[in-house]
Amino acid sequence: MDPAEVEFLAEKEMVKIIPNFSLDKIYLIGGDLGPFNPGLPVEVPVWLALNLKQRQKCRIVPPEWMDTDKLEEIREQERKLDTFTPIPSLYYMELTKLLLNHSADNIPKADEIRTLVKDIWDTRVAKLRLSADSFISQQEAHAQLDNLTLMEINTTRSFLLDSLNYMYKLRSNLQPGRSQDY
Amino acid sequence: MDLQSYMPVPPGIRMEENFFSLDDILLSHERLPCRTESAFPRLGFLEKSSETRDIPEGTKMEMPLWLAKGLYERKRQVLSVELPKVYREEWRTVFGADPIVVDLHKMGPYYYGLGSQMLHFDSPENPEIANTILQTFIGRFRRTMDSSQNAYNEDTSALVERLDCLERSLKWVTCMYVCVIERLV
Repeated sequence: MDPAEVEFLAEKEMVKIIPNFSLDKIYLIGGDLGPFNPGLPVEVPVWLALNLKQRQKCRIVPPEWMDTDKLEEIREQERKLDTFTPIPSLYYMELTKLLLNHSADNIPKADEIRTLVKDIWDTRVAKLRLSADSFISQQEAHAQLDNLTLMEINTTRSFLLDSLNYMYKLRSNLQPGRSQDY
Repeated sequence: MDLQSYMPVPPGIRMEENFFSLDDILLSHERLPCRTESAFPRLGFLEKSSETRDIPEGTKMEMPLWLAKGLYERKRQVLSVELPKVYREEWRTVFGADPIVVDLHKMGPYYYGLGSQMLHFDSPENPEIANTILQTFIGRFRRTMDSSQNAYNEDTSALVERLDCLERSLKWVTCMYVCVIERLV
């Protein structure tokens, strides 16, 4: 799966904005987006928030988890445990990238947040690789990993599946099946 | 989700080859040392070093895999194939000791594929060969994974040189993906 597709899916998440225009409720196929009044926060999908921000019609409020203390806590916990900790948003990587690229002025301590999220990402991907390695080297048949996000899964998806296919082919050599004569 | 107009056919499973797979076609050009068990009249021109018109019984010559596979028969009246160096006892112990350090590209770029095809020739060491190939792949897995995920902005040609064709195809698939991800962060 393309990272661009994952980013597209991430844009469906809701985020709070503070518009500076007013508009009545709009009725879209995906749902209704509440009346916009200047100065009053309203929840909209990320794609709309970014669009409005680029046209300078709103101010984006960072989600609750996008805070240095919370992220530091998550990072510490991630480093302590061998398994994956539950993280506040399934699309933390994409949302961080999108929000920090477009509205870094609305988010306090943007650089620190970027570094913290990158640390969390690196730790989780390293754990994933370790787990994939032990899965293959011990030739186990079954593994279960909780609390993984789509982006992390996509980093190993093609490599792991192809390696497992090759392993299956090589392992089936061990059975003395007779190939077709021709 | 790949929108390619050309999907390459992957190499075949175990001892079968895929007819349309480019890897299998190139692999079948590898030469194997063989010994003829019966005479081949008027085919002396195939053997460069012989002066006679026919190839007498018991000649040692090198044949490509596709020819050897076609001529080989269980009753062994035509041809007997010897294992190439890489699949013999000495090399098997090397692979058993430490598969990571071996330069698989130099040993014949299609180590895994050719190994699977060698199992056709009913050598008594078949189970050990199959096992060694599998264990080598597993042993080198970690190294291949690391090199593919960390390589996007460094020159790793030294590492890549030591990989077999199968491992290289794994690596390039992941490299492309990692390039895209790194651009995000």
